[in-house]
Amino acid sequence: MKFSVFQVSRKGGRQLNEDRMGYSYTRASGILLLADGMGGHPEGEVAAQLALQAISALYQKQANPKIDDVPAFLAAGVMAAHRQIIKYAAEKGMLDTPRTTVVAALVQDGTASWVHCGDSRFYLVREGKLVTRTRDHSYMEQPPASLSAARAAERLNRNILFTCLGSPTKPVFDIAGPVALQQGDKIMLCSDGLWGSLDDDDIVHQLTVKAVVAAVPDLVESALQKAGATSDNVTVIALEWESPDEFETTRGAMLASNDISDSGFSSTVQAAPTAAEDDDLDDAAIERSIAEINEAIRRSAAKRR
Amino acid sequence: MSKAKPAALPPDTMIGGYRIIRKVAAGGFGVVYLALDAGGQQVAVKEYLPASLVTRGPGELAPTVPPDKLSLYRLGLKSFFEEGRALAQISHPSVVSVMNFFRENETVYMVMNYLEGAALQDFIMTARDLKQQKVFRESTIRSLFDEILRGLRIVHQHKMLHLDIKPANIFITDDNRSVLIDFGAAREVLSKEGNFIRPMYTPGFAAPEMYRRDSSMGPWTDIYAIGACIYACMQGYPPNEAPQRVEKDRIATALTRLRGIYSDNLIEVVEWCMALDPLSRPQSVFALQKELSREGERRYTKLSVAEKVRLQFDTMVTDTKKSTKSIASSVIKPK
Repeated sequence: MKFSVFQVSRKGGRQLNEDRMGYSYTRASGILLLADGMGGHPEGEVAAQLALQAISALYQKQANPKIDDVPAFLAAGVMAAHRQIIKYAAEKGMLDTPRTTVVAALVQDGTASWVHCGDSRFYLVREGKLVTRTRDHSYMEQPPASLSAARAAERLNRNILFTCLGSPTKPVFDIAGPVALQQGDKIMLCSDGLWGSLDDDDIVHQLTVKAVVAAVPDLVESALQKAGATSDNVTVIALEWESPDEFETTRGAMLASNDISDSGFSSTVQAAPTAAEDDDLDDAAIERSIAEINEAIRRSAAKRR
Repeated sequence: MSKAKPAALPPDTMIGGYRIIRKVAAGGFGVVYLALDAGGQQVAVKEYLPASLVTRGPGELAPTVPPDKLSLYRLGLKSFFEEGRALAQISHPSVVSVMNFFRENETVYMVMNYLEGAALQDFIMTARDLKQQKVFRESTIRSLFDEILRGLRIVHQHKMLHLDIKPANIFITDDNRSVLIDFGAAREVLSKEGNFIRPMYTPGFAAPEMYRRDSSMGPWTDIYAIGACIYACMQGYPPNEAPQRVEKDRIATALTRLRGIYSDNLIEVVEWCMALDPLSRPQSVFALQKELSREGERRYTKLSVAEKVRLQFDTMVTDTKKSTKSIASSVIKPK
C-alpha cells in the first residue's frame, strides 16, 4: 500500500487552535483523523485530542494489520471517543462538557470508508472532479424539511450544529463507503476554517493541480488570507493514493507501509499514557529483533553502494 | 539511592570480535566504548546497560538483573532495539549510522561508526568565550543546520522522532560534517526509582508538549529543539525552559537584542520554530528548510534609540545572568 500524506494546521485570528489531526497506519491499512474542538463550551482542544486518541487507540488494537469489519469499527471508534469525553468531564466534575466534531477516513484493500460527526469534512477528489464529500450535521446543510434549501442558506447560521461528540445527547454520525480508490485519488479531511472561506471548486482545483505536499499548505494559506484577521483555525490533512508499486517517488511525505512488520503500526497520534505494558520479549523475540536489525543494516549498506 | 553504577568493561576486553580501547561516554541507558574491529578500524560500541536496573562488578562480563527489575529491563531493551531498527534503515551522512548489532554477555551491543571531532556544544562554549558580538557567523549557522535538517528529514521520513536534539547531540566531525547522534536517549528513560517510564527531556531544548504527557508530539517537537539550537548558536547560551516561557516569555526580547547582528529572516525563523503552540511552528522539516535556504538579500533592521533604551531598562530589571548560564547538558528526569 502506498500513499503520501500531508497535514497542516494553522491558527487563524483565534486565541487557541482547537483543531487536532493525525494519522496511523499499519502495513495494510491507514486511518486519517481530524477533530475540531468546539468553542462556546470548555476545553474544546481537549475534546478534540481525546477523540483522536480514542479512535487511534481502537485502530491500533483492531488493525492486525487490517480492520475486519470497517463500518462496525468506525461506529465503535466514534462512540468510544464520545464516551472518553463524557468520562473526562465527569472525572473533572465539569458543569459543561467539552465538545468536538470528528471526521475519520479509513483506507484499506484499495478502498476508502469514512465517518463524520459535525461539520469537519471529508472530500474525495478524482481527476479534477469531486467524487463525494460529507454533508455537515448543521441546519444549513441538512435543513429541517419545513425549510427550503434556499431559505435555509439565507436564514441559518452555518455554525450551528445539531450534533457533536461530548454533548449529553447521543451523537449522530454518518458512515459511508467503501469506495474503490484509483491511482491519483485525493482524500482530504478539513475543519470548517477551510470550507468556510474556500468553495468546493477552489478546493477541488487546488487538490487536482498539485501534489498534496504543495496543495495542502497552499489551501490553508489561501483560506487564511481570504478570511483575514478574523479567520477561524484552518486544519487540513490529505492523502494521495498511489497504486501498488508502479513507481518509486522521493516526494516529501511518501509512505510505503510495506516495511512495517505484521504487528507494527505507526502513528502521529500519541496514545494516552499507559503504565508499563507487559512484555513478552523472550529469547526468541530478542534473537528475531537482532536478526531484523542486521538485515536492515545490510539493506541500507547495499543501497549506499 | 547511592547504588554503585555497573562497571564498564575494561580496555582490551573482546566482545563480538571487537576489542575495547576505552569507555567514551555513559548515560542512563548504557555505556559507549571506542573499539577496534577485526580490521583495525575504529568503531563506537554501545552497550545496553541501564544503570538503574542492573549491577556488574569490576571485571565481570555479564550484568546481573534482579528478578523484580527483569520486566523493566526487557522493556528498556525494546527501546534499544527500536533505536537500532530505526537507525539501521537510515543511511545518511548527517545521521549516525549503525554497522552491526549483536548479543553477548547476556546483553546487546550496537556498533556505530566512530566520529572524531567535537559536539556543537563545545564549539558554542569556545566561541562564546571569545566574547565577540556574534557567537557564530550567520552563514555558518545556516550551512550547519542545512546539513542537520537534511538528516532530520530522513529521520522523520522513517516515522521516527529524535526528541532530544540539543547542541550536545549535534556532532561536528574533524572533516567538517555535522551529524545527529544519540537516538537512544530519545525514546524514554527508565526512572531512577526504576518502576515506571518517563519521557526524557533537556531543559531549554525540549518543546512544551514534552512536559505535558497527554499532548501529541510530532516533527514540530524536534523543530522546536532545532530552533533552540540555532538560538544557542546566536546567543551562546540556551533559551529559557518551556515552562518558564509559558509563565513569562523572554525569548522575543532576547531575540530583539540580536537585531542588526543577525538577519531579520534568521531571527524570524527561530521565533517560528520556537512558537509555544506546536501548530504555529513549521509542521515539517521541509517547510523549515524552505525558509532557511531562502536566498536573496538579507535584511538587517537595527534597533531604534527608543528600543535600545527599553532593552537596557529591561536588562536592569530582569537580570538575565548571561555569564552564569551554561549550555544545559544534563538530562533532567521529572520527579
